[in-house]
Amino acid sequence: METAEAEAMSEQAASLELHGVSRRFGGLQALSDVSFSVQEGEIFGLIGPNGAGKTTLFNLLSGVTPPTSGMIRWRGKRCHGLSPDALNRLGIARTFQNLRLFGELTVLENVLVALHHQAGAQLEPQALALLEELDLAHLADRRADELAYGNRRRLEIARALATKPTLLLLDEPAAGMNPSEKDQLCDLLAEMRQRHQLTLIVIEHHVPLLMQLCHRMAVLDFGRLIALGSPEQIRTNPRVIEAYLGGAR
Amino acid sequence: MPDNGLLVQMILGALLGLSVYLPMAAGQLSLATPAFYAVGGTLAALMATHADHQGTISLGAVLWEMVVAGALTAALATLVGLPVLRLRGIYLAIATIALVEIVRVAILNLPFTGGATGIFGIPQPFHHPLGYITLSGGLLALCGWAFQRLETSRLGRAMAAIRDDELATRCMGINTTRVKLSAFVASAVLAGVTGVIAAHYLNTWNARQGSFDVAITTLAFVILGGSRSWLGPVIGGLLLTALPELLRPVGDLRLVLFGLVILLGPVFFPQGLITPALLEKLGRWKLRRLKP
Repeated sequence: METAEAEAMSEQAASLELHGVSRRFGGLQALSDVSFSVQEGEIFGLIGPNGAGKTTLFNLLSGVTPPTSGMIRWRGKRCHGLSPDALNRLGIARTFQNLRLFGELTVLENVLVALHHQAGAQLEPQALALLEELDLAHLADRRADELAYGNRRRLEIARALATKPTLLLLDEPAAGMNPSEKDQLCDLLAEMRQRHQLTLIVIEHHVPLLMQLCHRMAVLDFGRLIALGSPEQIRTNPRVIEAYLGGAR
Repeated sequence: MPDNGLLVQMILGALLGLSVYLPMAAGQLSLATPAFYAVGGTLAALMATHADHQGTISLGAVLWEMVVAGALTAALATLVGLPVLRLRGIYLAIATIALVEIVRVAILNLPFTGGATGIFGIPQPFHHPLGYITLSGGLLALCGWAFQRLETSRLGRAMAAIRDDELATRCMGINTTRVKLSAFVASAVLAGVTGVIAAHYLNTWNARQGSFDVAITTLAFVILGGSRSWLGPVIGGLLLTALPELLRPVGDLRLVLFGLVILLGPVFFPQGLITPALLEKLGRWKLRRLKP
């Protein structure tokens, strides 16, 4: 992504705003004073070493845990302190790093559960269309816990998309995938964003994939935001290099 | 072959099994069924003995009692369910056992529920068990139809999803508190309505009808029958209600044998008698029969 385009993105009105967001677990400051904003339609990457607070941030955005302090808004609506189901109905959907599919249900039923609030007596056609999009239709009648790892990851995405989100949070969508699956996923996500008019925030350890995919990225380290910018700016940021490689202090 | 009277009790057992199954289908271990059963039975006993029915009562009046019992237990379950369903697993089970005890002690001590001896001479709508078989069997058939529909409905799928992973279900935009409360209230209504039929059938009602023992017995219906389909608690309820009576010839040993069955059932049938694999086999067999 070109730097110029990234700058154009940041000039638009922000759709997701975080102001001074912090989360403390007992004596552990998991996130401290994180502020940034994401524009509508943007693909936004979130990287950082293990334990940097990336998943904690997703938990705050999806209502799984409330922030200790700070303010979160999506499309002007207050998000902090809302329950996960209320936030989902506001258009925020997520996937889980450690996969939380409904293992005893079939692949089709997993998507049907997520279509709970969609109108219409016949949900199956909608569910099948989504499975088709993610290349899972041939597995519709299989139990979710029988699927191979890559398929489970895609089913998590299908299930999140079924709730008709406007903001989709993907927690390590490529984890456990082989290189060719990763490439396919990259194309798929770009396509998804177009077709469903999504704003995407992606946590990923596979940095090259994110560099290729994202308009802008944020880097967390020990719960603090240490860098924000285009992939190019992130790549050359000395603080990022230090966080990842360990600086000579 | 069980006699007609036993058949009525078996069907009532199946209905109570379904009442325990409902919250369990949404992953909630609630033992509150006897409390609502007791409320329904006591309400029917009071309504029927206070009106002047001269020994018999019309079916219409019994149906009206069922409606009132349904409304009362639904209101009670909503009131109790909202705080109690915040608990999970064994803690929810303990809280619901407490509810059973509170209701039992209340019925034992209230000035108008007959104390330890209970209420006698509850008028009968039928003079033959066949009437009760029709009434309770009709209710069981209605439940079967409703449960079958539930399994492919939004609510039923949401319940199954909560049983699997409540947090993930919430992240799908589903208000899981509302779903769990719906299951709890439906369970209470079913128990209350069953209590109304039982009170008339037994002709007498007292606080012991809704005791902790009933909670364990009805839970055994679901565990032995299977908790993965509504057919499980129905089969479990029918079998385990019949068993003590069928074992009567062996005298005092029967309760020991009954206990052994409850104890060993889960060892040999860990998923219950009606398992998902069995249902799948049945489904394939039905398909083969349909396709010539």
